[in-house]
Amino acid sequence: MKPARIPDLELDSLTSLSKARVGCDFQIRAVSGPGCDQLRKLGFCESLQVRKLAHGRNLICSVCGTRLAVSRQLAEQVLVSPVAA
Amino acid sequence: MTDRSELVALVGHPNVGKSTLFNALTGGRAKVGNYPGITVDFQQGSFRTPHGRRLELVDLPGCLSLDGDSPDQEVTRRAIHGEIEQLPAPDLVIAVVDASSLERHLPLVIELLELGKPLVVALNRVDLAERDGLRLEPDKLSEELGVPVVPLRADAGKGIVELKQSLRTPLPAPSQRDWSDTAARRDTAHRIAAVAARRATAHHETTSDRLDRVLLHPVLGWLVFLAIMFVLFWSIFSFASVPMGWIEAGQEWLVGVVEGAMAEGDLRDLLTSGIIEGVGAVVIFLPQILMLFFFIGLLESTGYMARAAYLMDGFMARVGLSGKAFLPLLSSYACAIPGVMATRTIPSAKERLVTIFVAPWMSCSARLPVYLLLIPMLLGGRESTAVQSLVMLGVYALGTLTAFFVARLLRGRLGPDEVEQHFMLELPSYQAPQWGYILRHVLDRGAAFLRKAGTVILGIVILLWAAQTYPKSDSDDPAEQLSHTVVGRVSDAIEPVVRPLGFDGRTGTAVITSFAAREVFVGSMAVLFSVDESDDEAETRDRIRERIAAETWPDGSPMFDIPAVLSLLVFYIYALQCLPTTAVVAREAGSWKWAIGQFVFMSLFAALASLVVYQVGSLIAGS
Ligand SMILES: Nc1nc2c(ncn2[C@@H]2O[C@H](COP(=O)(O)OP(=O)(O)OP(=O)(O)O)[C@@H](O)[C@H]2O)c(=O)[nH]1
Ligand SMILES: [Mg+2]
Repeated sequence: MKPARIPDLELDSLTSLSKARVGCDFQIRAVSGPGCDQLRKLGFCESLQVRKLAHGRNLICSVCGTRLAVSRQLAEQVLVSPVAA
Repeated sequence: MTDRSELVALVGHPNVGKSTLFNALTGGRAKVGNYPGITVDFQQGSFRTPHGRRLELVDLPGCLSLDGDSPDQEVTRRAIHGEIEQLPAPDLVIAVVDASSLERHLPLVIELLELGKPLVVALNRVDLAERDGLRLEPDKLSEELGVPVVPLRADAGKGIVELKQSLRTPLPAPSQRDWSDTAARRDTAHRIAAVAARRATAHHETTSDRLDRVLLHPVLGWLVFLAIMFVLFWSIFSFASVPMGWIEAGQEWLVGVVEGAMAEGDLRDLLTSGIIEGVGAVVIFLPQILMLFFFIGLLESTGYMARAAYLMDGFMARVGLSGKAFLPLLSSYACAIPGVMATRTIPSAKERLVTIFVAPWMSCSARLPVYLLLIPMLLGGRESTAVQSLVMLGVYALGTLTAFFVARLLRGRLGPDEVEQHFMLELPSYQAPQWGYILRHVLDRGAAFLRKAGTVILGIVILLWAAQTYPKSDSDDPAEQLSHTVVGRVSDAIEPVVRPLGFDGRTGTAVITSFAAREVFVGSMAVLFSVDESDDEAETRDRIRERIAAETWPDGSPMFDIPAVLSLLVFYIYALQCLPTTAVVAREAGSWKWAIGQFVFMSLFAALASLVVYQVGSLIAGS
């Protein structure tokens, strides 16, 4: 796997998408874990923006204008940082 | 052969509009629906470019990349590499992308570019991109990618001519470039997207987002879902009764014509109480079957189907399946064959096998005629449509719940997946239903049903009529004559076997004939129970249901009492009486053992359930 290009210090300040707040915009900073290939194919790639639309067993996000439902376990592998509104 | 027409392949993510484009180019009839994963097999057609060249076109299942592992994506990969026997390797690829979401779609385009085949990009859904405020620059995109880019709106037929014009051959192969690693591919894609489709704002709330807030709400969403399911079944009972009346009237008129024109005799009897009665008894349920297809088409077309899959995921997980199994199972309510085919979109092999195994227990439309005959008998024919719909819902629920129960057992035995699978699904934007497509699909299915009525059902009805008319005896007593015929002898022979299930020999015979096709049961019953009355010309023709309901055992007790009708219902809920399904299961599961195991299991289960229901029911009724 590609090593994360983000310094450890910054990694600590990131939240996983599964814990992120509903209704807010985020920038995807790192995707890592066993499901990362699938996630990237679906559109969860580093540097893209994502808005979280709903919580739940499967969460709903909007990436590049497309609504996607992904399971919480997958969303845990997406690390995001907030985007200033 | 050197002068075969060249093959063009449509490749793109699920639900971008490949099949829509296929239809627009070829005038074909590929199935279209607003759900990712409608197309699961390749489909061919052909068209002419403005220069008069004939090109073959192949529509492929959607894929996110060329290394996906579900069987539908494998079809696409194999087709592109020319590994499908009936299909040569494509000479040109049309990459269909969603203009409103280029960042997500370009990595696949780049992957296709690396194949080195001539490529044209169809920039579809420009209407949605405009709505989202994107600044599209097809020229820049074309420059960056080094291939022609044609903006279009496949569903409105806009840009089709331009696309055809761009397919001038021989097309230059794109300059060989190799990004070699997926990360580099993605970075390139994002850079190009930022140039060719600039986003004004990151997000703005759309109507779909607002609708989803209600329809995917943990409480409201479920209420709406249940309401939709109830309306579906209720309307099958109530709205369809009008056209049913017409069919019935037409049938009576036809009998009148035949009786007026022909002298009494075997031939006239064959026409009236054989063909018209038997086939008519089945055809009368055509409107209801069409309604079912119509509703499922409506759910698919509007985009609600993906939401239903999302809602059902939690529930399905408890039985070891996922939301991905919902569409295959729901379409099995219409017909198990497309349902089993649709399991190709399920990434987990084990989940797919289990879904295929239980899919036939989602009551298909071929069972509708049987249910619609039996349910009013159960209720004495007096209850309102609402009560009937509830019983119908119960019948469907029974099949479905047993299916889930078996799925759970089976999934437990198969063990977990080698690679853990997670739920992920694109939720497409809602859109107004595409009446044209829905109507065409409904008509196609109606035609298929009538073809079946005109072949299998007609054939069996004629055979059955002959079997219960010949050989003739010298006796004038209809009962004695009947026992002399083939049917009489067969039903005498099987009566001891089927009696514990609550059936007499004739019903047993009808059940056996329905292994050819379930609907045949209704036609067979109409023929088999029309004997007593056929010599009485003056008697008004009772509806077949009333006639059957009035049947008694030799001791005078009603033959179709509640335990017996329940037993029949249960049998039809569980029995797998559809050879085409078994054949498709064998192909899709890749194993005849699986298909035959399923058939044997379901048949035994049906007979056993029927036995238990009748015996227990009779005990309760007798006490
Ligand atoms: N707004 C808009 N909708 C479109 C356009 N083209 C297609 N659609 C809609 O997109 C939905 C999906 O179309 P399909 O042709 O079934 O998509 P597909 O790519 O074949 O999908 P799969 O077979 O599932 O991979 C349908 O509801 C179409 O009406 C377009 O240009 N604009
Ligand atoms: Mg398609």
